[in-house]
Amino acid sequence: MRIVDILNEQVVRTNLSGSTKPEIIDAMVELAASQPQVLDKERLREAILEREKIMSTGVGSGFAVPHGKTDAVTDIVAAFAVTAQPIDYQSLDEQPVRLVFLLVGRDNMVGPHIKLLSRISRLMNKEEFRKRLLEATSPQEVLEVFRQEEATHFEV
Amino acid sequence: MQLEYLLLVGSILILASIAIAKLSDNLGVPSLLLFLGIGMLAGSEGPGGIYFDDAGLAQSIGIIALVFILFAGGLDTSWRHVKAICWRAASLSTLGVSLTAIGIGVFASFVLDLDLITGLLLGAVVSSTDAAAVFAVLRSRNVSVRGHLKPLLELESGSNDPMAVFLTVGLIQLITNPQTTIGSVALLFVFQMGLGAALGMGLGKVMVMILNRLKLWYEGLYPVFSLAFALFIYGATAAVGGSGFLAVYVAGLVAANSEFVQKKSLLRFFDGLAWLSQIAMFLTLGLLVFPSHIVPVAGVGLLLSAFLMFVARPASVFVSLLFTTMNWREKALVAWVGLRGAVPIILATFPLLTGLPDAELIFNVVFFIVLTSALLQGWSIPAAARLLKLDAPFEQKRRYPIEFAPVEGVDTELIDLIIPYHSAAAGRSIVELNLPSDSLIVLISRADNFIVPSGGTLLQEGDTILVLVNKNNLSQVRSILAKQRRPNEP
Repeated sequence: MRIVDILNEQVVRTNLSGSTKPEIIDAMVELAASQPQVLDKERLREAILEREKIMSTGVGSGFAVPHGKTDAVTDIVAAFAVTAQPIDYQSLDEQPVRLVFLLVGRDNMVGPHIKLLSRISRLMNKEEFRKRLLEATSPQEVLEVFRQEEATHFEV
Repeated sequence: MQLEYLLLVGSILILASIAIAKLSDNLGVPSLLLFLGIGMLAGSEGPGGIYFDDAGLAQSIGIIALVFILFAGGLDTSWRHVKAICWRAASLSTLGVSLTAIGIGVFASFVLDLDLITGLLLGAVVSSTDAAAVFAVLRSRNVSVRGHLKPLLELESGSNDPMAVFLTVGLIQLITNPQTTIGSVALLFVFQMGLGAALGMGLGKVMVMILNRLKLWYEGLYPVFSLAFALFIYGATAAVGGSGFLAVYVAGLVAANSEFVQKKSLLRFFDGLAWLSQIAMFLTLGLLVFPSHIVPVAGVGLLLSAFLMFVARPASVFVSLLFTTMNWREKALVAWVGLRGAVPIILATFPLLTGLPDAELIFNVVFFIVLTSALLQGWSIPAAARLLKLDAPFEQKRRYPIEFAPVEGVDTELIDLIIPYHSAAAGRSIVELNLPSDSLIVLISRADNFIVPSGGTLLQEGDTILVLVNKNNLSQVRSILAKQRRPNEP
């Protein structure tokens, strides 16, 4: 499964407002909730917060990947945003976050979920790629950046 | 009958039922109907020719079976899913059941020309829905219903049986004992249900506590212990005048939502036991019925059954859910998933054993209602769910690459973590990390590959790892992975 297959214009924002970690997570959950795969928004949020408790998903370099598994979705659902301002996300390198990728998978589909997680966290570890995302001005542009980058590094 | 003959016949019937259960997957017919059919075929009027008319024995088998089915049902319910809808379910299984009983009762006394109270007795007997039937049907067609509806239907069907039992017993008392008043029956209701719920909750907790402290030297004894304890909960509650059925169901719920030793294997054990109970119960009931007695009541049976499905059940569902945010489509589906099952047939043996004059009629009519409801509603539920746009893919049990159960004294779970960028752990072998001794990285997902690591495997930034970790050591693992490289390090 490709990252571009799970993103679309409805779930991508380039100027997400919010100034705290909880506000940003809420806004990301709202974005994801627009998708038909989501059966229950509240339980989706719970799954995200539950996972965040185990270890912050602010993996460093200004990027965070809040994620979780729940049966409140029928299939993998994702959202991506560039925040309007730097967010204190309790990241492991203590740097503020501006790039947020939300990924929620079904309880019983662990394989695709962790595969996507590692694909995303590998791409996001490239400074040049992060820079292009931060400079994107529209969801369409973000999707195009993802498409190009993913095609360069992965075959399918 | 000689023992070996009895065992031979009994085992053949059960084996045939299992074979048929497989078949029912393809036919989409609820398997319980097929079990019932086998029982009827084996009975005195079928090719089997086994004469069986012992309503007392059938009732005892039914009650024991129901205890296990309700306990297993409770054990299979996650409180996290049902807590949001528990008041709706409570309304359906108290108000809803009473309204259904009254609706059918009034109509039946009119159609069958019975006293009002005897009609109401018939209504009470068929007033509860059957959890096992509902979910067997949903499972067999590989579809499920959406959102909160599944837990709602599950909780309703598990918790309304005690209510139907109470109404039936209460009405029989009103009929046989002229001194009984409505007031005293109402008081009895509060007493029975209150005591049933309280004892179920308390004894469920006690069971979990004992299981966790027992430290049995032989694993095989855990199922034996919990089986005996389930029967004890029923027996003890009923002995002091509470609702034993409610108590076992509540105890199952309480246990399901606590952690205890051997949980996985006990769940599997009770799942199997619930199946055996269902098969035994329906076979017995199939044997008990005489098809030639059913035929004469087919006309009125059909009429009552239609009234139940299209008037009484929908009306009581809509009234019970009046003050909820559910939309009409959801309510309509709840109304349609009102399958009747074994409980009405078991309850129909109560008047028989009391020797009420119309007991035979009630039994035959009830049997007919169950048959038609299970057949028509059972068959059409997937279609109804699709029609109302409330279907969802069937939920499979959580599947991990590795399965494990909580082990006594070890508090371990499987979690996914991402190796942070600039982590000091990246570029090092797993051995070098010095993870706590009872934690283990079982799988690494890197780019598009899964790697089963060994001690020498090097971690990379952005790897997603599945790690088996003791809750007490989680913070230690976290700090090892979170530690940042010093700037001058590569």
